[in-house]
Amino acid sequence: MTSRDEMFRNIVAEHQELVLNTCYRFVFNREDAEDLAQEVFVEVFRSFDQFREESKLSTWIYRIAVTKSLDHLRRVKRKKRFSSLKRVLGLADAADNIAAPSMNNPAEELASSERAKVLQDALDTLPESQKIAFLLSKQDGYSNQEIADILNTSLSAVESLVHRAKKNLYNKLYASYKKH
Amino acid sequence: MKQESVMKLKHEKIEEEVRSTLKLLNEMGPFEAHHLFRAKLMRRIETDLKQNNGGALLGRPDFRLACMIMLLLFNLASAFVSMQQESSQSMTTAGQLAGTQSDYYSAQEFAYYDQTTSYDHKSP
Repeated sequence: MTSRDEMFRNIVAEHQELVLNTCYRFVFNREDAEDLAQEVFVEVFRSFDQFREESKLSTWIYRIAVTKSLDHLRRVKRKKRFSSLKRVLGLADAADNIAAPSMNNPAEELASSERAKVLQDALDTLPESQKIAFLLSKQDGYSNQEIADILNTSLSAVESLVHRAKKNLYNKLYASYKKH
Repeated sequence: MKQESVMKLKHEKIEEEVRSTLKLLNEMGPFEAHHLFRAKLMRRIETDLKQNNGGALLGRPDFRLACMIMLLLFNLASAFVSMQQESSQSMTTAGQLAGTQSDYYSAQEFAYYDQTTSYDHKSP
């Protein structure tokens, strides 16, 4: 094993939990989060030589995690749009309609998955910077300064983004439940 | 009055729903990675590296530059060779033509002209 491999293994061991949980906050799905976390570390391994120590290694890694998660959400959105178009055209694949395996209590699972869907829809309508700042602030392990470094912005800007995100999210959720 | 209390109740219910939904984010406790996470990752990196070795080489700018220079040199060389061939061919053709012509005029049919050229005017 080379020293590069050894160093990479140490990096993975040190950051895997936070990377995994960060991806999970964005995608709301454990399997997708694991896949994304793997992609993040593959990218880290590939681009490690290009890492310039302008920022902390951890900031660089978490920035990759955020970018990968947002890319994943965009892909899912595109897929959704495409599958609804397929449904309209009558070309829908039967496999698209198969539900994910449920937990122990189906009613609870349904309620929480509906809630999660409402929350995710509301989060999707937030501006990207607000969404990132808000979701990272909800995650243990990120200080506001670290979020500012990830977003390449100032500490006060992060505080403002989180505040606006909370307000916007509350309004959007309120409007969504009022409609139903 | 009754409508107001209904509205208030509805507002409270919606607020409760919003609170419960937002609570989901706080309840998202940290979860640990699968115990095979690192093993899977290293395997993925190995297969990725093997697959992309050729692609990575092609993607490298110095490799691409070297390929372009080689292509350019090859083109120049082939152009030079074909020009050389053309010029030697044209020289051969001119030589051949001259040869043919001299053969043509010294042929049997033109013997008369040869004779006339060697005709001696002074002789009676």
